[in-house]
Amino acid sequence: MSDARTMPGSEQARVRVRMGRRTGSISRRRRLGLILRLLVAAVAIVFALFPVLWVISASFNPTGNLATQQLIPRNPSTINYQNLLTNPLSPFGSWLLNSLKVSVLTSVLGVISIMLSAYSFSRFRFQGRRQLLLGLLLVQVFPTLLMFVAIFYLFQQLGNYIPFLGLNQHAPLILTYLGTQMGIQIWLMKGFFDSIPRDIDESALVDGATHWQIFWQLIFPLARPMVVIVGLLVFIASYNEFVLASVLLKDVNQYTLMVGLYLFVSDAFTQNWGIFAAGALLGSLPVVIIYLALQDQIVGGLTAGAVKG
Amino acid sequence: MMNDIKARGSSEPLAPPSRNVLGYLLRLGGLAIVDAFAVWFLYVLLRDGVWPIAIPVALIVILVNIVNLNERLAAMRWQIPAVSIILLIVVFPIAFTIYSSFTNYSSGHILSKQQVINQLEGRLYLPEGGPTFAWAAYRNPDGEFGLWLVDEAGNKFWALPDAPIEEAGAVSEDIGPVDDDGYPTRVGEYRRLTGGDLFRSLEALNGVRFGEGDEAVQIRNTRQAATLQPRYQYDPERDAIIDQLEGTVYFGNEERGYFISEEGQNLLPGYQVMIGTRNYERLFTSPAFRGPFIRIFLWTIAFALLSVVTTFALGLLLAMAFNDPLLPGRKLIRSLLIIPYTLPGIIGVLIWRGMLNPFVGVLATTSQSIFGWFPPFLTDPFWVKVGILLVNLWLGYPYMMLISSGALQSIPEDIYDAAAVDGANAWQRFWNITLPLLLVSVGPLLIASFVFNFNNFTVIFGYNEGRPPIAGSPTPAGHSDILISYTYRIAFEGGRGSDYAYAAAVTVVIFAIVAILTLIQFRFTRQWEEVSESV
Amino acid sequence: MKPQKTWLAILLLLFASFALMACAGGADNAGETPAEEIEEEPATAPTVEEEPVEEMTEEPVEEPTEEMTEEATEEEEATEEADDGAVVRDPEADLVIWADETRAPVLQGVADMFEEEFGVVVAVQQVDFGEIRNQVGIAGPAGEGPDIFVGAHDWLGELVANGTVAEMDLTGIEDQFEPSALEAFTYNGILYGMPYATENIAFFCNPDIVETMPATWDDVLALSEELAPQGITGWTIETNDPYHWFPQITAFGGYVFGVTEEGYDATDVGLDSEGAIAAAEWLGQMVEAGFVQPGMDRNTRLALYNNGDLACFNGGPWDLPDLRDAGTPYMVGPFPAGTAGPGEPFLGVQGFMISPFSEDPLLAQAFLTDFVATEDVMFQLYEAGGRPPAFLPALERVEDEDLQAFAEVGANARPMPAIPEMSAVWSAWGNAQELIIGGELEPAEAMMEAAQQIRDAISAANE
Repeated sequence: MSDARTMPGSEQARVRVRMGRRTGSISRRRRLGLILRLLVAAVAIVFALFPVLWVISASFNPTGNLATQQLIPRNPSTINYQNLLTNPLSPFGSWLLNSLKVSVLTSVLGVISIMLSAYSFSRFRFQGRRQLLLGLLLVQVFPTLLMFVAIFYLFQQLGNYIPFLGLNQHAPLILTYLGTQMGIQIWLMKGFFDSIPRDIDESALVDGATHWQIFWQLIFPLARPMVVIVGLLVFIASYNEFVLASVLLKDVNQYTLMVGLYLFVSDAFTQNWGIFAAGALLGSLPVVIIYLALQDQIVGGLTAGAVKG
Repeated sequence: MMNDIKARGSSEPLAPPSRNVLGYLLRLGGLAIVDAFAVWFLYVLLRDGVWPIAIPVALIVILVNIVNLNERLAAMRWQIPAVSIILLIVVFPIAFTIYSSFTNYSSGHILSKQQVINQLEGRLYLPEGGPTFAWAAYRNPDGEFGLWLVDEAGNKFWALPDAPIEEAGAVSEDIGPVDDDGYPTRVGEYRRLTGGDLFRSLEALNGVRFGEGDEAVQIRNTRQAATLQPRYQYDPERDAIIDQLEGTVYFGNEERGYFISEEGQNLLPGYQVMIGTRNYERLFTSPAFRGPFIRIFLWTIAFALLSVVTTFALGLLLAMAFNDPLLPGRKLIRSLLIIPYTLPGIIGVLIWRGMLNPFVGVLATTSQSIFGWFPPFLTDPFWVKVGILLVNLWLGYPYMMLISSGALQSIPEDIYDAAAVDGANAWQRFWNITLPLLLVSVGPLLIASFVFNFNNFTVIFGYNEGRPPIAGSPTPAGHSDILISYTYRIAFEGGRGSDYAYAAAVTVVIFAIVAILTLIQFRFTRQWEEVSESV
Repeated sequence: MKPQKTWLAILLLLFASFALMACAGGADNAGETPAEEIEEEPATAPTVEEEPVEEMTEEPVEEPTEEMTEEATEEEEATEEADDGAVVRDPEADLVIWADETRAPVLQGVADMFEEEFGVVVAVQQVDFGEIRNQVGIAGPAGEGPDIFVGAHDWLGELVANGTVAEMDLTGIEDQFEPSALEAFTYNGILYGMPYATENIAFFCNPDIVETMPATWDDVLALSEELAPQGITGWTIETNDPYHWFPQITAFGGYVFGVTEEGYDATDVGLDSEGAIAAAEWLGQMVEAGFVQPGMDRNTRLALYNNGDLACFNGGPWDLPDLRDAGTPYMVGPFPAGTAGPGEPFLGVQGFMISPFSEDPLLAQAFLTDFVATEDVMFQLYEAGGRPPAFLPALERVEDEDLQAFAEVGANARPMPAIPEMSAVWSAWGNAQELIIGGELEPAEAMMEAAQQIRDAISAANE
């Protein structure tokens, strides 16, 4: 019986264990299951990574024509990477730093605002709470395609009085990303807070703590796994965003990575897919690294019963 | 120690925040600073007439004040950061878009009426037979300018602003020695401007009338100065622009946004006017609306729905398959599987587009050599949809896998054990326990994914720009177009260049549709009741 | 319940005020002059966004004050300059030029020389070519636009209608430009730009496969039949690219808009004219025989050609680097003839334009006519962009035979219509092409449908 309790996992495994105990063929069943799963993994990985291998191959292909390359390029060379990193007209390093700066700031500020808001929705009852919740969701639903004109106007005006909120700055971009992403994340976070029992809050209140203290000292540590997840989601969304960034940023040195990369393929007649691929790969690295680094936290946090309505 | 089941039942609200003297004082202090800034900022904004920004700022500040001073609203204070930002960044553009849909903001109508008047009045022309001169500019120590003119016959003149033009011979000032190009280096105290000095002074020299009245001469370009006249004059009483050259009178037309002559000639450029609901009327009565609209609408819903279903199915399948911590290489497998999510969407789409190319794409050539056939993923109306869903599946399943993973592991094992004891088989366990519990937690995310894909311009446009085209459609439309790409095309590739106002109207309609759909879905998944339970 | 109602009321009020604000904003735009006055007063407090967060965190009140003083000094230093040193419109620049990444370096050289010699600051901002077109309409009226910008001649219809381009004065140097280029930049009788490059497509063939270039389109059909057994396609075309298809249409007498004295006439749509339909039917023959297949785009076409699987195609000077890099031999020549003579491609002209919102139009004009319109600079622009110069002295210096061939074909090229109604044309026309190549519609039907769509779009827009 100890096996069943100490092996969390899919129900299939458990059932097999039970049945196996009865029939005495534990290992075979388990092995079959494992093999099946590894097969699935193999297929899935091929599906997932084949296009990525293509991008990698394109980045080492000096002729830069997307349609015609092979998996292993005819004349592999690193010239795309060289061009990418040394061209003064396309400061890849600056772009990367800009993207990181914007995404990290958005992530941090976003998580704080989201948590405050979600905590309030979860713990307090105030007039208009349901309306506000619904409102947050509904404004999220508005097609953002046409928002850029209004946003451009907004920051163009603001920039006249508060320079760092003007055009071609990063602060407006951060604000815009915050505005467009927080709605759904507040819902997610609220759901999570709802799953943390109120007893904790109540007993602390009885002891004379303020809500502020409860939030920071009790709830926030418990919420860490969710914080990581939400932070990561916001980071990725900000990092990969392109349309609004291209509207608000005008100077090549201010571009974020996606805007900069687009330059390489925007002119229909001088497309350079090779450099684009190289840039895309290098540009995706931060996200991959961050995910891998935080993987334990994410998975561990989720294992502790985090995501729950 | 998260025993969620117990917590879920509790629906008693917490006691409102208590008073804390130090916090209160600090809050008051902060509030005072915010108010001080707001007063300054609003003053500046209003002084410059920037109403659209002043109003949301004022509203935000008022809200902040109310919420901080009214104890009953103390819970709202926590909402301030998020809600202020959303008010500014999202609600303002929404209002702006709605407003625009009632104007004619489009190609040919982007300036305001006053801007158009300014521009027209600034246009100059050279009357027939008007003299033209070669010129050199001079400046005296006080910074005043003078102009040396040589007309086509070779006569020389000296001109000062608002003073009669004198013939060179009659100039009282002492004229300095003549330069190589025939101009004196100095006239009285006026020294000739050349090179950098000249170029830097051009801005100031622009528009200066040298001479008096109708004789006055202006610099036209680096080679010429001439008696230029303003071509257009605005008459506020009649609200008309009069063409001085040809005598035509153009009357301001607030319905069309142009100055229009009696013969119906539009004077370019036009200007922005409010046109009420005309954009909406056009939308609902135009053949474009009735034509392919229904078909595109249905495909948009199908696309969004199928995207969610397929990505969730695959994501869940993979999450379940790799849930077992004893599986070797589990961490590695998971890391590899998440990679499509880390690539930016547009790049993924373009890569797939290249691979699916029927002539030279790797998948096509491989398939051709093995099977002798390859689905026409880019050219056939049915297969194009399959292709887009495939690409979207590739882009979206890692996200679903991620959230399913977490949700799965939060389901307590006791339930499964109990079910197994009752004799439920694996499928029953999945369908009756796993899935419902999962949907409760990831439900909102699925809805969000639906909404995201409903407006997923990137994938549709990146894949094949909405093509292949639908034959027999009254306006250009494609088989893989969704509402938003179709809108984009109507708006920006319409009969007259870009029509932002019209696009705004269509956007509002799309928004209304999606909002309704979202609300319906909410009811359907009983999320609303969930919320009301914990209210 | 009363409190509920107050909340609803507040929310309603919010939305109402936003609507009102937006209205007021629209009306207010009338009062703004193009040149924005920049406030010099120092900011006395951090932004609205930061305040609430600071309140919430209960941090000492000192922090806001520090930010206040920091901002005050920053403000006083340079009103419009941003923290990171990047600018939208550099107030210290006397002239701002928007150029795309190909042209920007050349102009930067001129700007540097200009600044050195005359002390006049010319700032060259690199903006994506397509973006320039969109942004001059937004940034210009707002005072953030350039003085000079590069662009294509077919933007004129929209720019003139929007009031975002100023007249160009080339008196004294007009005769140094290609007449057709000047004509392309003339709209309603007024010259609006200074051309620097022309571009048009021509006919390419692989000399290894084809000895002499086909003289008529029927020859092209025959060639395709001959090469088919060898697995080589004689000629093909992109599936949805009317620009490349045009020369085949004109060869049969087709046209897109009729031409009158005043330029293109939007009421005369020529896509369903006899000539156009005849051209479409020829294409239909190529499709039926299987020579022209759907799913073709530019990259694929080049790949096929470089692989030796394609004999001839319609291509432009931008294809040359690709062919040269791959080492595939090629010949450039005039288009085959149809019933109405040799095919004539579209002519595209790129040039410099001046913004009517410029504060220093005289300087802008002088910069262009005196410093850019020189043989050296124009030649540099040619070297950077790979297009035949529109400036005659520079054109004479060009030794590239291929570009000369393009220029020859270009002598008969038709300027792309600049009228705003052109935007309705591309989608409909391209779709007709795709429907024909996909075999979904008969050629005549497809062209008539396209022409009707265009007429409908134009009349709807002009209501």
